[in-house]
Amino acid sequence: MEQINHPFLYIWSSAQMTNQASPVEEQEKLLDEALNIVKVQAFQMKRCLDKSKLMDALKHASTMLGELRTSLLSPKSYYELYMAITDELRHLELYLLEEFQKGRKVADLYELVQYAGNIVPRLYLLITVGLVYIKTNSNLRRDLLKDLVEMCRGVQHPLRGLFLRNYLLQCTRNVLPDTSEAQNENEGVVKDAIDFVLMNFAEMNKLWVRMQHQGHSRDKERRERERSELRILVGTNLVRLSQLESVTVEDYGRLVLPGILEQVVSCRDAIAQEYLMECIIQVFPDEFHLANLQPFLKSCAELQPGVNIKNIIIALIERLATYSQRNEGNINLSVVMEDGKEQEVQLFEVFSDQVAAITQSRTDMPPEDMLSLQLALLKLAQRCHPDKLNYVDRVLAHTDKICADIHQASGKTHLEHNTAVFKELMKILKLPADHYKNILTLIKLQNYAPLIKHLNHPGRIMIAVHLINDVLETDCLISTPEDVESVLAMLDVLVKDQPDQPTAEPDVEDFMEEQGLLARLIHHFKSDSADRQYLILSGARKALQAGGAARIQHTFPPILFHAYRLAHTYKDLKDTDDMWEKKCQKIFQFCHQTISMLVKAELAELPLRLYLQGALAISEIGFANHETIAYEFLSQAFSLYEDEISDSKAQLAAITLIIATFEQINCFGAENAEPMRTQCALAASKLLKKPDQSRAVATCAHLFWKAAKDGKQWPLNDASRALDCLKKAARVAQQCMDGGVQAQLLAELLGRYALLRERGNASLTTNLIDAVIQKIREELANLDQSEEVEQITKHFHNTLQHLKNRMETPDPDGLGYEGLTLA
Amino acid sequence: MSFFGFGQTADIEIVFDDADKRKVAEVKTDEGKKEKLLLYYDGETVSGRVNVTLRKPGSKLEHQGIKVELIGQIELFYDRGNHHEFISLVKELARPGDLLQHTSYPFEFANVEKPYEVYTGANVRLRYFLRATIVRRLTDVVKEVDIAVHTLCSYPDVLNSIKMEVGIEDCLHIEFEYNKSKYHLKDVIVGKIYFLLVRIKIKHMEISIIKRETTGSGPNTFTENETVAKYEIMDGAPVRGESIPIRVFLAGYDLTPTMRDINNKFSVRYYLNLVLMDTEDRRYFKQQEVTLWRKSDKSRLPLHNAHIPQTLSHPSHSIPRQLSASSEDNSNRAVSPSNPNLMQRSISPSMNDGEKHNGPSEMEQDQPDVITNKLSNTHIENNQLDEDKIDDEPAPPVVEKQMIPEKPFVAEKPQVAEKPVIAEKPVLNRPESEASPSQ
Repeated sequence: MEQINHPFLYIWSSAQMTNQASPVEEQEKLLDEALNIVKVQAFQMKRCLDKSKLMDALKHASTMLGELRTSLLSPKSYYELYMAITDELRHLELYLLEEFQKGRKVADLYELVQYAGNIVPRLYLLITVGLVYIKTNSNLRRDLLKDLVEMCRGVQHPLRGLFLRNYLLQCTRNVLPDTSEAQNENEGVVKDAIDFVLMNFAEMNKLWVRMQHQGHSRDKERRERERSELRILVGTNLVRLSQLESVTVEDYGRLVLPGILEQVVSCRDAIAQEYLMECIIQVFPDEFHLANLQPFLKSCAELQPGVNIKNIIIALIERLATYSQRNEGNINLSVVMEDGKEQEVQLFEVFSDQVAAITQSRTDMPPEDMLSLQLALLKLAQRCHPDKLNYVDRVLAHTDKICADIHQASGKTHLEHNTAVFKELMKILKLPADHYKNILTLIKLQNYAPLIKHLNHPGRIMIAVHLINDVLETDCLISTPEDVESVLAMLDVLVKDQPDQPTAEPDVEDFMEEQGLLARLIHHFKSDSADRQYLILSGARKALQAGGAARIQHTFPPILFHAYRLAHTYKDLKDTDDMWEKKCQKIFQFCHQTISMLVKAELAELPLRLYLQGALAISEIGFANHETIAYEFLSQAFSLYEDEISDSKAQLAAITLIIATFEQINCFGAENAEPMRTQCALAASKLLKKPDQSRAVATCAHLFWKAAKDGKQWPLNDASRALDCLKKAARVAQQCMDGGVQAQLLAELLGRYALLRERGNASLTTNLIDAVIQKIREELANLDQSEEVEQITKHFHNTLQHLKNRMETPDPDGLGYEGLTLA
Repeated sequence: MSFFGFGQTADIEIVFDDADKRKVAEVKTDEGKKEKLLLYYDGETVSGRVNVTLRKPGSKLEHQGIKVELIGQIELFYDRGNHHEFISLVKELARPGDLLQHTSYPFEFANVEKPYEVYTGANVRLRYFLRATIVRRLTDVVKEVDIAVHTLCSYPDVLNSIKMEVGIEDCLHIEFEYNKSKYHLKDVIVGKIYFLLVRIKIKHMEISIIKRETTGSGPNTFTENETVAKYEIMDGAPVRGESIPIRVFLAGYDLTPTMRDINNKFSVRYYLNLVLMDTEDRRYFKQQEVTLWRKSDKSRLPLHNAHIPQTLSHPSHSIPRQLSASSEDNSNRAVSPSNPNLMQRSISPSMNDGEKHNGPSEMEQDQPDVITNKLSNTHIENNQLDEDKIDDEPAPPVVEKQMIPEKPFVAEKPQVAEKPVIAEKPVLNRPESEASPSQ
């Protein structure tokens, strides 16, 4: 209404001064127009300068500077305009400087430019002229600097004010007093420079922060973007401060830092605080930071809720950690304690205390940030204090507490997969693992294993796999029962079922892989001392047996093999350890128990093989009473075969293994051997399929005839029963319908004939061999050509070739093939 | 100016002693041109010679006497015919008789009192001139020569500053300070504005120097306001707690000393007008009279040495604020020196008779008075209803003010305000009518 009443009243055109920046498309046009005016006025100004018409030149300069009064330009365009104009102002400055140096001073120029009616051009001119005064007469320096920075208060418009003050800062960059003592106090000392920049900084920061609160809230995003474009202007103040060379650590702590922090804290603006704190960290030297850690960190705690303190502190920690590393940890850090005394402290201690205080005071801090801070602390502890494990442990304890709080807040017992906190905790857990590359160090950290428990199930598996891989990679050995226990406790998630594991069946392949890793880890449970190794194994078994059938089938075999190896070790120690036999017995008892656990877990083939392996080991070690135990193992295997194995293929494989094991064991007397081989032969002949039967029975021949050992015949050799087996095998083979199978079985049988004959079984006469050969030839002749047949033929011919070789160069010890005709 | 009759006639020339050494001053003529005149000060002797040159050498010039006058007069433009002479000194140079040849007469007005300074304004002119007359029977031969007169003044170096807290309730509240209340013509105004409360969007702030020339008296009073200078001191919107420096060099502007009731004919006063404009182009202002005076050139101190930063220090509000005082009226000031925390530091002099301040005494309000019952506030008015009022006066009549319901007050209301506060003088007005910078 009032605008209708008096529309022509205004002295300043309202178009110039509206606070509404124009849309993007207009920006270019507006900027172009402004730049054109600048060009014209700058040209006029320079022409006047050439003609030494200073007053006219100043007038043009002022008109040119008037363009900076606009409110229509975005910060970016305004910046371009500013650059163009200040570029031109340089001409004026150079001209004046030259004139002044020639002694042609213009009287009262400083006053003269202050007659400009508009404040923005006036202040730009004032700064330009002031600079010339300072450069030509350093006596004026202190007072002029003070005056300029004070007068700039007149521009309260954020954008214009920021650029004006930036101009001030730019102009004065080389003339700031930078000595701690001046010959002439009017020249100023570094303290004046500090005051000057701090004042400018404070004002610029205020203006910058004020931008946030102007205009509509719907433009918030754009405003924040614009602010971040302008932040460098504010930050330059800090850069300038850091460039003052005569600022000492004391000055910094007494004047510079408190001045900056006061502004930063009191501006209560998250964007500013975050940026400026990082600026401080970046621009000032490490020594300064070290000496003033406490005030800095204390200020961090006072920052606005929205500030990402984590980044700030992490940046500082990283910086100091690097510094500390560069100096090989030789950094002197003293802090003023509350009682006013200085005390030498460790870098870590300071950070740890302050971070704790910050996380406590800032209840709004997202938990993942708290964890990030702990992560940074952890890095610090590891890098700066590699010798102090307790620091790391302290961080982990803190982390543990934070996690507990998180659970309390969320009502869940574990951290959800792939949440921010989860990722942070994962990093925290991986950091020491990757740093030390030694699981033994990790178990020394009391708070490490408990921390893992905060992860959810997949997370725990991930970290467990990670840890095991580390062990495997570094080939590190875990050599005490206690360590083994701790390691397994740490890897709890792989060792046994978890209350929180998913109810659905886990992916079989993944599961196998994990358990496979665990099994590989078990191989690293190794001690030099045999007795301790036993303890390790029994401890490990104790821990692992809780894992259930699915796990122990993976984890027990390595234990058993460890045990068998251990028994061998005792055998090697028999000269030094009187008790070795007893110990071996105990070991095999342990193995027996272990295997029977697998049996109880309704496994068959695996325990069968382990029994056989055990029997082999027992027979090789040959301690007291070993025959009984070996028999026990073997009979257990056999009963497994009988009771549990029903698949025909598995049966064949199993019986073959049993027979082979028996063949290898030499400790049995007739009393134990007889039932065993009879049972085996019986079992072989009871196989369902004829080819299986044939092969098994053929194998049984080895039960009755073993090769001579050390020149001595096995006392239990029974040539005829061996022959019977082979004959029976041949008979069964011939019962097969398929000619090819028959031929194959016979070809295999021929090999066995040859083998046993060469092992000295004379009852396998050349005639018998010849008969087999003829039979094979017959069968082969009846067969059509096929790949299979070709193979059989090849096998057959190879055997014949062998026989031929033997006939030509007979083995002096074995039986020859006299009378065999290989036509 | 000379009128030539028949027969013998003569030219008159007035030659001043020391004309070549004496300073000159630029004085505006009534045509608006600038003229360089010899400069005299109060009490200085004006002396010289009057040279009479006969047009026709040889023949005699008969005359009734020759005299020279020194005249100081005030010309009111609306009353052209009537000049008010406040000085009229006459020296007889020759008795009636005949003049036979060129003659030169020395004259001297010793130690002439020249109480006023020359002035040429919109409605009034004050001039000094010498008039040499050859009195004749028909037409006198007359010659007039103007001289310039400057009145010098001196005030103690330490002068009271002007400091005042003004505002619109819940809207804008500022404290301003000018370092002095009296400035010489080459002085610098140094001051600051401290923002106590800002709830409007200010666009910029300026200080203008307003010259107010008042002529005549009673119903025939003419007032002419002229904005002599306009000086932006702030760009953009400040927030609470900001303090904005003021520094205005006066030397560059066309100013005269303050003149009060010159010979009961006219006054020339100067006001510093602090104007704030908001983004909706409303103007908030506060006028404050300052006394301008002319300082002797010889003793001119480097008061405006540009290299001495002349800014006021930051306000420190922990210290009890100084009493604000208005220089408008010394009869009605209310201050509470004993207890500055009371809300009584502002005063509200009545402005009803704003044009009738007299003499230099009004500016000399150095010592605070006792609290009167007329306590009120100084306030900035945000009064839109006044906008259409074409009125030069910054202080509209009281009655009118009372009718404006939304008129805000300063925050500090005196407890003793049994009188309507608004009835008191509104010192800071808004809007400024278009007539105020009338040029």
